[in-house]
Amino acid sequence: MLNDVNLLGPELVLLVVGGFLLFADLFLKDRRILMGLTLAALLGSILYSAILLTEGHIGSQGFGGALVVDKFAVFFQILLAGAAMAAVLVSTETLQRTPSRRGEYLALILFSTAGLQLLAGSRDLIMVFIALELTSISQYILVGFHKDRWGSEGGLKYLLTGAVASAVLLYGMAILLGLTGSTNLSEIASYIAWQGAGKEEALMLAAVFLIAGFGFKAAVAPFQMWAPDAYTGAPTPIAAYLSVASKAAAFAILIRIFFEALGDDLLAEHWKTIFAALATLSMFVGNFFAIRQNNIKRMLAYSSVAQAGTLMIGLAAISADRGELLGASGILFYLAGYTVTNLAAFTVIILIANHNGGSYDIRSYAGLGKRAPWLSFVLAFALISLIGLPPTAVFFGKIYLFETAVQSGLAWLAVVGAVNTLISAAYYLRPVKAMFIDTVEDEDTQPEVARPSNSVLAAMGLVTAGVLVIGLHPGLLINAAEAAVAAIFS
Amino acid sequence: MENVLEQYAHLGILLIFAAIFPSLPLIASWAFFKFGLRPRMPNAVKSDTYECGVETEGPTWVQFNFRYYLVALIFVLFDVEVIFLFPLAVALDSVVVTGLVAALIFIAVLFLGLVYEWRRQALEWR
Repeated sequence: MLNDVNLLGPELVLLVVGGFLLFADLFLKDRRILMGLTLAALLGSILYSAILLTEGHIGSQGFGGALVVDKFAVFFQILLAGAAMAAVLVSTETLQRTPSRRGEYLALILFSTAGLQLLAGSRDLIMVFIALELTSISQYILVGFHKDRWGSEGGLKYLLTGAVASAVLLYGMAILLGLTGSTNLSEIASYIAWQGAGKEEALMLAAVFLIAGFGFKAAVAPFQMWAPDAYTGAPTPIAAYLSVASKAAAFAILIRIFFEALGDDLLAEHWKTIFAALATLSMFVGNFFAIRQNNIKRMLAYSSVAQAGTLMIGLAAISADRGELLGASGILFYLAGYTVTNLAAFTVIILIANHNGGSYDIRSYAGLGKRAPWLSFVLAFALISLIGLPPTAVFFGKIYLFETAVQSGLAWLAVVGAVNTLISAAYYLRPVKAMFIDTVEDEDTQPEVARPSNSVLAAMGLVTAGVLVIGLHPGLLINAAEAAVAAIFS
Repeated sequence: MENVLEQYAHLGILLIFAAIFPSLPLIASWAFFKFGLRPRMPNAVKSDTYECGVETEGPTWVQFNFRYYLVALIFVLFDVEVIFLFPLAVALDSVVVTGLVAALIFIAVLFLGLVYEWRRQALEWR
């Protein structure tokens, strides 16, 4: 029992500190230490994961096989905690707006991160559902945190559609349990291997429900309608967090369930096609809707839909080439690159909005290249990186995924991805054009962009370092991703 | 596999009937009115809200006190959480100490929740 608790350590650190933060809101007068405490908890969680990794706990299972600590789970635990750290660091302005609810905000981020981490390590459908609800409910509240008009609208839309998605997901799980008699992923896998023949239709019905439920979390078209409103209404750090962490965990659990439980060739041939179709749809929908947006948060919301489509190429391409695991490790690599790049973009957007009267209009970025050259440069770099131009993290990720698609006989999907890369340049370059080419007439009256606060600088350092390390030395991350994925297929 | 589908086919037939029964009178009523077979003579009693034959009292759009919402929510919360203790009570002789400790931790978390609500003034009748 104690060993089980030990395996739960990285999540438990976050949950305990989160609980403390809730109460600190009620009893503490000086709430400035809370942010430091949150960061310490996230750092502690990362350290705990690292200790589990090095101290020989890899591959051990806890709670009757419901939880596993393998390299795959640890990869995501560290990625998610890192993303949460960046989101907390850029939250200073949000916290100043609501000083009395500071602990609540930080606690909810911790709870949500713990849920996402748990999701990456779950090997039981019940555990998956509990972890998903833990993170979803925290996120519903966070999206509507500013109780203004946009916040309430985004939060309510996210809550209502999210509740439906949870119900659909639960229905899929119930069908799977009814067919196989187990909620444990490896038991489901062995049932399908031995007795699955002849039950493909029913198993695929369950799989479709699962894809819909998790697709909602990953904001894949056609389950993306909540994303633009939730991103616009949410405090911007939360939008940044949602766009990377939620997506990462959703893909983690998709990989885990579809390759561990439903990975039999009997089914893989079928769901591979579904993923290919969703990838195509998601890329086109995300990119075409993003072109028309003037609000940069909405634009990035649709861009994240398109990016989710690109990621799904990895799920579609995987089954045909089982031996090399390229698709899954491609997803992990792309996710890590996308996470740091998107966080970098959001960090700059938050900084600009802080001095821009809270405006997220792309047209208000005109002439920013002169007033704040460094900020503009970082944003331009992040956006160009999101297109996938060399030599950036996303570029290597795209090459990785497209090549996997070609190798597994899905060359058309790689072509669709390449075409969409071109389309995406149309909107990613719009803010760049506004900043560096467009000019404003009353140059002197424009607000001065002040020096960012220390914590935001720290966040920027964190994500920029991530972008540079992955972009200049992708081999490190490729090795980590391949080692992580090998844990699932062993 | 076919057997299951056949069973659902029976349900499907019922579903079709369930759709026809309520919609047929409505369509007939509309059609009779269109062809002038049905007169249209509304009066106050006829277009009144139907409440099992009893005369309606007061306006339909009554405003409920918003305070009920919070109290009801807290009640449902604790009500549902206590249900989780029942399976444990049934299986207590097989889970013994670990189960008891887990239950105590669960109750402690519930208690903390109550303290939180209390300090947030959710329990005050304002």
